[in-house]
Amino acid sequence: MDKINILIIEDTSEEALALKEVLEENNYHVVAIASSYQEALTLFYQLPIDLIIIDVFLNGNPDGVTFAETISITPNASKPFVFLTSSKDRQIFERAKLTNPFSFLLKPFNELEVLYALEMAVEKFHGQSNTFSSKDQDTVISQEYLFIKKKNALKKVELSSIMYIEVDDRYCHIVTEKEKFIIQISLGKISNLLDNQVFIRTHRKYIVNSNAIEQIVLADNLLLLKGNHTVTFSGRYKDLIKNFNILK
Amino acid sequence: MTLAHSFLFIICFILSLQSFSQSKSQEISINTEIDISKAKHFFITKNWDSIIVHTSKSLELTKEQSTLDYYHYIRGFSFMKKRLYNEAKNEYNRVSEEFNLYYRIIRNLGGIALEQNQYKEAICYFKSLQNYSNYNLIESSVLHDLGLSYFHLTDYKKAEKYLLQSNTLQEKKQDTFLLIGSYTDIANLYYQQYKDPLAIPYFKKAYQLSKNVQSLKLKRKASLNMAVVEENRKDFKKALVYRKEFEKWKDSLNNQSEVWTIAQIEKRHAIDQKQKHIKLLTSENKIKDIQRNGFIFSSILLLLLLSTGIYFYYQKNKINKIVLSQKEELDSLNTTKDKLFSIVSHDLRSSVNALQQSNTRLLKDIDRQNYLALKKTVLKSSSIANSTYNLLENLLHWATIQTHQLYFHIESLDLFSVMQQIEYNYKPLFENKSILFSNTVPRASFVMADLDSLKIIIRNLLDNAIKFSKENDTISVYTDLKNNQLLLIIEDTGAGMSLDTKEALLKEGTILNKKKNQKGVGTGLGIQLCKSMIKKNKGKLFIESTEGIGTKMIISLPKLDSNG
Repeated sequence: MDKINILIIEDTSEEALALKEVLEENNYHVVAIASSYQEALTLFYQLPIDLIIIDVFLNGNPDGVTFAETISITPNASKPFVFLTSSKDRQIFERAKLTNPFSFLLKPFNELEVLYALEMAVEKFHGQSNTFSSKDQDTVISQEYLFIKKKNALKKVELSSIMYIEVDDRYCHIVTEKEKFIIQISLGKISNLLDNQVFIRTHRKYIVNSNAIEQIVLADNLLLLKGNHTVTFSGRYKDLIKNFNILK
Repeated sequence: MTLAHSFLFIICFILSLQSFSQSKSQEISINTEIDISKAKHFFITKNWDSIIVHTSKSLELTKEQSTLDYYHYIRGFSFMKKRLYNEAKNEYNRVSEEFNLYYRIIRNLGGIALEQNQYKEAICYFKSLQNYSNYNLIESSVLHDLGLSYFHLTDYKKAEKYLLQSNTLQEKKQDTFLLIGSYTDIANLYYQQYKDPLAIPYFKKAYQLSKNVQSLKLKRKASLNMAVVEENRKDFKKALVYRKEFEKWKDSLNNQSEVWTIAQIEKRHAIDQKQKHIKLLTSENKIKDIQRNGFIFSSILLLLLLSTGIYFYYQKNKINKIVLSQKEELDSLNTTKDKLFSIVSHDLRSSVNALQQSNTRLLKDIDRQNYLALKKTVLKSSSIANSTYNLLENLLHWATIQTHQLYFHIESLDLFSVMQQIEYNYKPLFENKSILFSNTVPRASFVMADLDSLKIIIRNLLDNAIKFSKENDTISVYTDLKNNQLLLIIEDTGAGMSLDTKEALLKEGTILNKKKNQKGVGTGLGIQLCKSMIKKNKGKLFIESTEGIGTKMIISLPKLDSNG
């Protein structure tokens, strides 16, 4: 599991540092702090960023909203973001609202409010609202990552690093090359959200990353995966082998 | 009026159209009957011009042969009477031979030929008449005319024969008029042949008979004839007598004709008078019409003017009312604002003052190095700062709500998370006052609300709960479900409130009353803000409270439908 990379766009360095402190206490990784629109754009395209916290007003101008508008209209560039503001000025909000999906954080804020706003931003951005607050799910799945809520903070796991997933009732055991952990999500949800060209159901209990398969042992109904993991596959799902180009 | 007229006309027109097709054939026959009777009427009253005009129309409409014959006959007759002989002849020639009065036509044609001096033709007509069955009715006059024709042709023998025949027939009938003519003609016949002895008795007979008749013309003619005869006989004395008689008849005839012409003139004059009168009346009518129309138009105009006047008057009234109500509203708002500001400024001053005092004590404590008291003072300071901050926050939100500048975005929210976030800030406050706080809002309690306004609502209610709680009281927050609404309940075991206070709190409008037995900050602004924000969130506020036992503040909010 990796920390989530955050870009803070804030012109008041005190506030930015206070925010950074709060975030790092909660296991987020603040990649950079930008204090202007230009700087923010440059940093945004240079660094690997998962989340952005944007102050609406930069040096007295609503440049924060402009930044959000810019990344929203750039294809495949946009990331989840949270607006920081000290007033609910209607005009600015009407404008900010157009950069859907958006969430905002009203100053002054406490630790929990920051964390809640970040969660909201991630789940709204991926169209999976009310996930982290729900009782039976703690993971939002994007194209590249699993965003998992661990205690108060979010973590991310690259989908391509996953070997296989073992489903156990309402829980899923995620096995990556390096580690093994449990997330809370139902089988139905996870198989809907994962790309079924890559993640293949091989068994009532297993979903396998097809890129991780090294060998298929038909005799034993076994799949040999990278890192010496083995997964069984049942007869019901045998057809999946047809999807592979079998070497003769 | 013209409108009404035309309307009536249209109705009549429609009615006539409807009946037209049904009774078309009937109508024609009825029409002809009416036409014929009209023609008859004109014929009897000898109104020849009218006949000519009338029949010329009727002829075009009629197709039945007998009626056509009839019309041609009376037309011819009228023309004859008007001495338009050629037209008369034309009309007569159009009559078919089946016509039952055809013999009369032949008779009249003969008469016309005689008048036009076409004697031979006349004779032909007259002679052909002898073949008709009704000949005997007109025999005498026909014979007479035959005689006259021959007379004009100077065939005196034949003339004599026919005239005498006619004379004998007329003597039988005792028709004085015809007899006088007949005698005169015979006399003339003989006189022309210089058979004076034969002629004179006839003249005398004619003269004798003429004495018994009214016709001045006949009398004049007879006396003139006698005068000429006597003159030729050189009996001047008698001739003179006759001449005088002739003059007398002539004069009276002239008189009569004069009287007649005067009568004519008078009649024409009377007609003119009538015409003038009619003209006068019609012009009067016209004037009346114009006057009436003018009256109608002017009354319509007045009505319009009146209604527009009334309309504008009402509009003005309406606007005035609106303005008045707006003014009242503004006034009340202004007083509210004034009151609010006076209270707020007072409260702010006192709380900032308290903060200053607290800071002074803090400095003293530091100087004295009384570190035990230090924490207590700091906690107190932070509590004062917190409540002041809340007051300012409320003020700000109230202002934004009043100016409709508040951004409002209702979305699905997890009450559990929201409560966690609020609780985080309140922990020190609870600790400061040693209040037991329990938050049992379950996870994933989703409601539809605006996040910040919901936070303001909850914060205000918690502030109040703290304010009215004593040390070691309990404040608990929990949820309940009711009619698909999620109830958030904030319960305290504090002072509670009376029924009056409760009702006053729930009442609409801003009531700002300094709390009686409270030294803390309180403007009533918080609860007003809560109420308007709850309303904006489509929620409701309920209060359950018992004095001395505690208060339950209940917010009901719309639940998110698909919970999960």
